[in-house]
Amino acid sequence: MDKDSATVVLEHVTKSFGEFTAVSDLSLAVRAGRIYGLLGPNGAGKTTTIRMIVNITAPDSGRISVFGQQITPELQNRIGYLPEERGLYKKMKVGDQLKFFAELKSVPGKEAEKRADRWLARLKLTEWKGKKSSELSKGMQQKVQFITTVIHEPDLLILDEPFSGLDPVNVELLKEIILELKTSGKTIIFSTHQMEVAEKICDDICLINRSRKVLEGSIREVKRSFSRNAVALRLAGDESVLEDHSLVSKVQRHSDGIEALLAEGATPQMLLKELLAAGTIIERFEMIEPSLHDIFIEKVTESV
Amino acid sequence: MNKLVAIIKREYIQKVRTKFFVIMTVLGPIMLMVFTIVPGLLIGMKTGGDTRIAILDQTEGTKLYDSIRKSLLNPESDDESRKQPGIAEAANSNSKDRMEQAGKSMTGSFRVEQVNPNGRTLDETKRDLNARIGRDELDGYLVIAPDVLNNPESKSSYYGRNVGDVFTRGQIEDRLNSSVRRQRLIAQGVKDQDVDALSEPVDLATYPVNEKGEEGAEDSGAGFVMVFIIAFLIYMTVLLYGQVVLGAIIEEKETRIAEILFSSVRPFQIMFGKLIGVSLMALTQLMIWGLAFAAIALYVVPAMAARGFEDINLPHLPPFFAIYFVLFFLLGYFMYATLYVLVGSMVTTAQEGGQMAMPVIFLLMAGLYLAFAVIRAPNSSFAFWVSMVPFFAPIIMMVRIVSQTPPFWQIALSFVIGIATVALLLWLASRIYRIGMLMYGKKATIPEVMRWVRQT
Repeated sequence: MDKDSATVVLEHVTKSFGEFTAVSDLSLAVRAGRIYGLLGPNGAGKTTTIRMIVNITAPDSGRISVFGQQITPELQNRIGYLPEERGLYKKMKVGDQLKFFAELKSVPGKEAEKRADRWLARLKLTEWKGKKSSELSKGMQQKVQFITTVIHEPDLLILDEPFSGLDPVNVELLKEIILELKTSGKTIIFSTHQMEVAEKICDDICLINRSRKVLEGSIREVKRSFSRNAVALRLAGDESVLEDHSLVSKVQRHSDGIEALLAEGATPQMLLKELLAAGTIIERFEMIEPSLHDIFIEKVTESV
Repeated sequence: MNKLVAIIKREYIQKVRTKFFVIMTVLGPIMLMVFTIVPGLLIGMKTGGDTRIAILDQTEGTKLYDSIRKSLLNPESDDESRKQPGIAEAANSNSKDRMEQAGKSMTGSFRVEQVNPNGRTLDETKRDLNARIGRDELDGYLVIAPDVLNNPESKSSYYGRNVGDVFTRGQIEDRLNSSVRRQRLIAQGVKDQDVDALSEPVDLATYPVNEKGEEGAEDSGAGFVMVFIIAFLIYMTVLLYGQVVLGAIIEEKETRIAEILFSSVRPFQIMFGKLIGVSLMALTQLMIWGLAFAAIALYVVPAMAARGFEDINLPHLPPFFAIYFVLFFLLGYFMYATLYVLVGSMVTTAQEGGQMAMPVIFLLMAGLYLAFAVIRAPNSSFAFWVSMVPFFAPIIMMVRIVSQTPPFWQIALSFVIGIATVALLLWLASRIYRIGMLMYGKKATIPEVMRWVRQT
């Protein structure tokens, strides 16, 4: 991966707390303008990694650069971080709160108010602007927290489990906004252990387990490398082609179709050609890709 | 810098808007008055009717009964105990009238009757009187020994249902004493009208002399009272706002905002900003109170003086005391506020914080008690060393300045030590705060805290 176009680069980063090693010898590169999924089970070291990127804690060894430089307080203004442990001032009004967080990122007061209004409208919270955050539902609070992360228009967004606790409608709304931000050129690091979500929005992923990187690459590459060379079928009529052991090594029948594991050297094209030649009616023919979930489970259990 | 300002501003505005601030600003002076005046009134208050006393005077010719009866029924006359100046009276040499006013309300009034043995024995008389007390016809009776005038070993006794009422007891003892003294003097040939003149107490005026050998103006004890007002003011301020500081420091931990803040601002800026924000709130409140007090002093005192309350005069002290007072008051405030910050940086909930803050309060109280020892010998080496201990310096140095101003270098040294301690405490707290902040829901042990301090 080209390090010059990378927004965040970690090189051999290690961080321990006493006896416990939270991150060990981790190297990764987050490319500009892409959504980078930092995946891993609970306690894998995701949050520690993020904290080092945003300069909350320093690594014991190794190098971290953001926007091509060593992190500084000025650079922090270009980062928006939504931590997993997040809250709001209970007795402060939503509008005041957004203004305060924007000021902490060096956005001038007037501009901060304008942006706050725009974002509140976008997230359908305008009428809650003058309410104290303790009066808001958990989902609404979470949306307010999201605004505090983006109000200073950061070039790098780091979102730690941004969807936890949101209802499906709001999950879609937030996803839409995240994809928009990506389109406008922002780099996004997305940390989660929910593989279904990661699969849908990440361009690149990095899987961490027990403080170490297990796997990194674009979703395409990762999936291809885990491909099991299997085809999902729903057929009508003559199915004798499936009995050809030079083509199909194993057949599994499910209620709504068949899963055929191809034999060594056989390709899906060869199977399709044979099926057409045999005059079988093909209702469904699809390469089976392993889901990120499967890969995750496989990798995590393998490294235990 | 702008970020620090944003934090200070937020903290200040939020704190000033709280109910605590509004209510305390209004009720504070009222509560202070209630807490200082009401206990005094309550202690002195005598509920119920007159105290019914019977007196069995066994002296020959019952010489004492009339004189005791007279002084009990009419406390204004010949009461020597009042003429001995107490601390409170020294605060204001003209306040004698008020003291007597208080004295009257404290003792209440008496109904006195004479017991005539009518040939009965002492035991029989007493049995009779005890029965009357039992029936609640009498509150107590005094038995005056027959040889009380010429035998110093003789014992008179007071019997009563409520001997816990020390005020009544003391008063009866006083009156008995002065009556006995009067009779003894008369027995020695002193004329009745000369007794009062002979018992007149001495008026002792006190003048300070400084290290240059110069005499000062008469000291009515105002300095002594001032010392305790100042010490008490520092003490109350710390008690009142220490908890607020503690709560503010813990706020981000309890609401889990710390991590968001840490990605924008350095932990020291957050901690320091919050301390300054709360302190500005405290100063705002103190200033409102101070102005209210000044307004009362400016308008009410002359108004009262015009109506005949001429005896209200405020103790006056040299102006440099005021400068020292402001400096040491601020030092004391910040000393203890940073201690509360330190406690706040170690704990995760306000409840835990309250427990951990106990030693801070003990430290503060120790300073207050040491003030009593120091004021009796303000230039002793003990006083010197105690005033150099940063946690005691604000109160103790002020005590020394007011009572017997020490050399300037000592004042400066104790102030500098204090400032250095505040800086050190802040530094220590910021290191603990930074790491402790991210340890949600986990109480730190002391060894852990020590490790955090060493960690970079």
